[in-house]
Amino acid sequence: MDDVLTLGMDVGSTTSKCLILRSGAEIAAAALIPAGTGTSGPRRALEEALDKAGLKREDVAVVTATGYGRATCPGADHTASELSCHALGAHFLIPEARTVVDIGGQDAKALRLNPEGKLVSFLMNDKCAAGTGRFLEVMARVLEKEVSDLAEMDAQATGVVPISSTCTVFAESEVISQLAKGVSLPELVKGIHMSVAVRTASLVRRLGVTAPVVMTGGVARNAGVVRALEKELDTPIRVPPLAQLAGALGAAIYGWEHVREKR
Amino acid sequence: MEKPENLLAPFRALCRNPGAQLDKVLAEGKKAVGVLPYFCPEELVYAVGMRPFGLWGAELECASSGRYYPGFICSILHTTLEMGLRGMLDGLSAVMVPTCCDALKSFGPNWKYGVGAIPVIDAAWGQNRKTPAGEEFTRASFRRILGRLAELAGRRASDAALAEAIAVCNENRAALRAFTAAAAAHPEAVSPADRSAVLKAGFFLDRKEHTAMVRALTEALNALPESRWKGLRLVTTGILADSPALLDILGESGFAVMDDQVAQESVLFRRDVPVTEDPALGLARYLGQAEGCSVLYDPGKERGRELVRLARAAKADGVLWVMAKFCDPEEFDLVPVKRMLEDAGIPLLTVEADQQSASYEQARSALEAFAEMLRG
Amino acid sequence: MNEEKRDAKSVLRALQDRIAQDAWDAKNRGEKVGWCASNFPQEITTAMGIPVVYPENMGAAVGAKGGGRRMCEHAEGLGYSADLCSYARINFSYADWKECPELEIPFPDFLLCCNNICNCMIKWYENLALELDVPLILIDIPHLDGEACDEDRVKYIRAQFDDCIAQLEAITGKRMDYDRLTEVMAVSQRSSRAWLRAVGAMEHVPSPFSGFDIFNNMAVACVGRGTVEAAEAFELLAEEYEALAKEGKSSFKGEEKYRILFEGIACWANLRATYKGLQSRGINLTATVYGPAFSFLYQNLDELMAAYAQVPNCACFEHELELRVHDALKNKVDGAVFHMNRSCKNWSGKLYELERQFRVKTGVPTVIFDGDQSDPRCFSEAQYETRIQALTEIMEANKKEAR
Repeated sequence: MDDVLTLGMDVGSTTSKCLILRSGAEIAAAALIPAGTGTSGPRRALEEALDKAGLKREDVAVVTATGYGRATCPGADHTASELSCHALGAHFLIPEARTVVDIGGQDAKALRLNPEGKLVSFLMNDKCAAGTGRFLEVMARVLEKEVSDLAEMDAQATGVVPISSTCTVFAESEVISQLAKGVSLPELVKGIHMSVAVRTASLVRRLGVTAPVVMTGGVARNAGVVRALEKELDTPIRVPPLAQLAGALGAAIYGWEHVREKR
Repeated sequence: MEKPENLLAPFRALCRNPGAQLDKVLAEGKKAVGVLPYFCPEELVYAVGMRPFGLWGAELECASSGRYYPGFICSILHTTLEMGLRGMLDGLSAVMVPTCCDALKSFGPNWKYGVGAIPVIDAAWGQNRKTPAGEEFTRASFRRILGRLAELAGRRASDAALAEAIAVCNENRAALRAFTAAAAAHPEAVSPADRSAVLKAGFFLDRKEHTAMVRALTEALNALPESRWKGLRLVTTGILADSPALLDILGESGFAVMDDQVAQESVLFRRDVPVTEDPALGLARYLGQAEGCSVLYDPGKERGRELVRLARAAKADGVLWVMAKFCDPEEFDLVPVKRMLEDAGIPLLTVEADQQSASYEQARSALEAFAEMLRG
Repeated sequence: MNEEKRDAKSVLRALQDRIAQDAWDAKNRGEKVGWCASNFPQEITTAMGIPVVYPENMGAAVGAKGGGRRMCEHAEGLGYSADLCSYARINFSYADWKECPELEIPFPDFLLCCNNICNCMIKWYENLALELDVPLILIDIPHLDGEACDEDRVKYIRAQFDDCIAQLEAITGKRMDYDRLTEVMAVSQRSSRAWLRAVGAMEHVPSPFSGFDIFNNMAVACVGRGTVEAAEAFELLAEEYEALAKEGKSSFKGEEKYRILFEGIACWANLRATYKGLQSRGINLTATVYGPAFSFLYQNLDELMAAYAQVPNCACFEHELELRVHDALKNKVDGAVFHMNRSCKNWSGKLYELERQFRVKTGVPTVIFDGDQSDPRCFSEAQYETRIQALTEIMEANKKEAR
């Protein structure tokens, strides 16, 4: 049987991810563009991934879109929710995963998988933005840093300046007043990460923590948040190298299963 | 026979613009009384020849209610107050306001000082509702409300008129039970949004008129050939599940509502008001028999047991809890009831609903994932 | 009694400790102990000699001792929304963890609930009853719709009062002695009058004490009202205050430049910040609804029922407003601080209108701040400081103008 190529698009609020999968087993190419739904991001991610793999759109059997902007993703054959996709992607990357935590720009999600990797239950954050990627962005802006700098700063911290407010506006003013006091920036960053971790941990605990716990999504690249969450949940967390692409990967797997079922 | 879709259209139109219905009633020279949740008997209003008008909030952005309520009060009260402040409810002779949840306790004064012209009728009932003393307190309270309504209507309240009103509303309850059964048998003809509109329209129409419309629709549904629909079967619970946007997502994700335990829906018509010599006692007893709502004193969490029973009887694939944002009673109930569902092996999805910002993108993701999960 | 006459503050503290210890001792002896809502008619349990403890007081103490955040977060992990009452969340955490380093109370054999302060109590105790598998007794006191508590309500509350006694007799094996009940009612009246006398001393200028002390003394007023010791302690407190007032002295630290009404429950988890923000500016609290309203005056059982329907947040809006306005004018306040308490939908739902009408009726400047009774995550010190400073500036300008 010839190789079947399926393509997954994960169109988020701030980034677009694309991944091409060969026969549900091997990753042919992937691309990530830091521009989300409503921008040129999705198109550019698609083009870049095809380009990397030396393929044309017609070579791909099916395009599955997921993420916040899945409904308006250009050229998608069908859509799947990001919860199912992150579950599929995490299971592909770490087959023994039982709990998956995905912190995205708008949503935080906790997923429970059965031993076969099937999604059996999930929870999402409530409306307040604390505990999501958006919260980190707001805080990075207050600190005049890039979100990508935060993990490194956290690593330098020897102590922690706790941030107690749950409301983003209050937390912002709390961070500003700590800045005014002249506290150590790395310790403040660590406090911000702990605040995200605490919110996420309560979501995960509501779902029930079953090891191993795997983290996917953009915030998983932030080792500071991961460490803080490990401490809160009192369990090690595994972060696959392709954590940020887990949604796109899941979409590609979703497409592959669709193709296989039709045969 | 009329096609169900033709019979459904008027219900949807009514729910899109309840205000027109109020205007119509007032133009006919009738008096109308706003009825807030929960368990404030409409029968009392009918008994004095006035028209009850259900006030369960509306999907609208609030500009003025924030002068009275802080942001963390539920949207039913925010948006109802907003409607009052904007003059959208002008012409009502009164609003009946129970005090069975904490946020409702301040609705009376906020309305009184904000809206002014339309008087508030405090509608207390007893939480120890299964005891003789609770029943008696509720009965006496309903009698008092009836007296107040009679003053506003300018006519005497007779027991015969109250008994007649109860009979009319019981007929409506029976019609709605028959309709929900028919709708569950024909998801191909009745979408979740349709089902909601049929139930909700009763709050804005004369119950007799509503009963006739519902019966005609039910007959048309029962005349349909056996359904070959193969979607996912849901039982809903919560305070409100009437957002058209949310219900459309349900439909699009392949769900149909087989039964519900929603305060605005079946909770109000699952049982009839008992017929008693003193009709007010029947209304009090009805409250004692009601189940499945978080504002009712429910020490054994009968709500959870009932929900499990409903889900099993409906052969439901799962339960959807439409969680009213900032609703204390619901947020408390969630923890034990969720556990009861888990113990029974019934999947549950909770979706947060807020009439003030009716954006359901997160709910769409969650519902699609729930569907994917249930389909396995 | 051969010991020296002690000051009221230490007598009250010792009494509070003793009441808490009595509950533990009873539990350890194998007696039945209850968890009780703060405004439940304590006359029943006091007269029957049934020990009860108060989860709300524990919630406040845990908040004040810095455990609020940890306990609230744990409850959120159990599935409780962060929007729910923080006392309830702290209590659910305790019910789950079975331990609490800040303060522990003996676990209950039964629950006594009363919703005169809020309906949230009902849902809270329903869940506890399931969680801990113990019986729940509810005295339902419907919110008042007029100035007085009507006959129907009195009858309803009375029937539940009697029913509660019967149920407690069955649960604990103890009998109600109605002569004892009459005694307890008399003692409670004595305590209440002494309490009113003590807090009444705030009308003096300067007030003889820091008004924040009321928040601490309330705990005894809540749990011990029916005991002779409490009555004596409050009488002692009133004497001390009156003696200080006579000399024009005060235990308030610093000069009392401004006097305010503080509306709402204290921010236990941010007590230092909320107190310092006022005290450092010479602002003393000389009016709070806990002054006039935390007493229960009655002559007989029916009046007792009515008194429990007049507690803050159960009475009608106009009555509540009048209590504040009267107290503020009597105690000569220069301004008012309103706590928009995230935990309490009952109190917060009417706070804006209460503040507006209070401002109009008293003519004093007011400020509202966001906070919570025991969850420190809902309070912003920066916001509080700014608002208190602004209030102080207005009060200062008003004083200048008056001179």
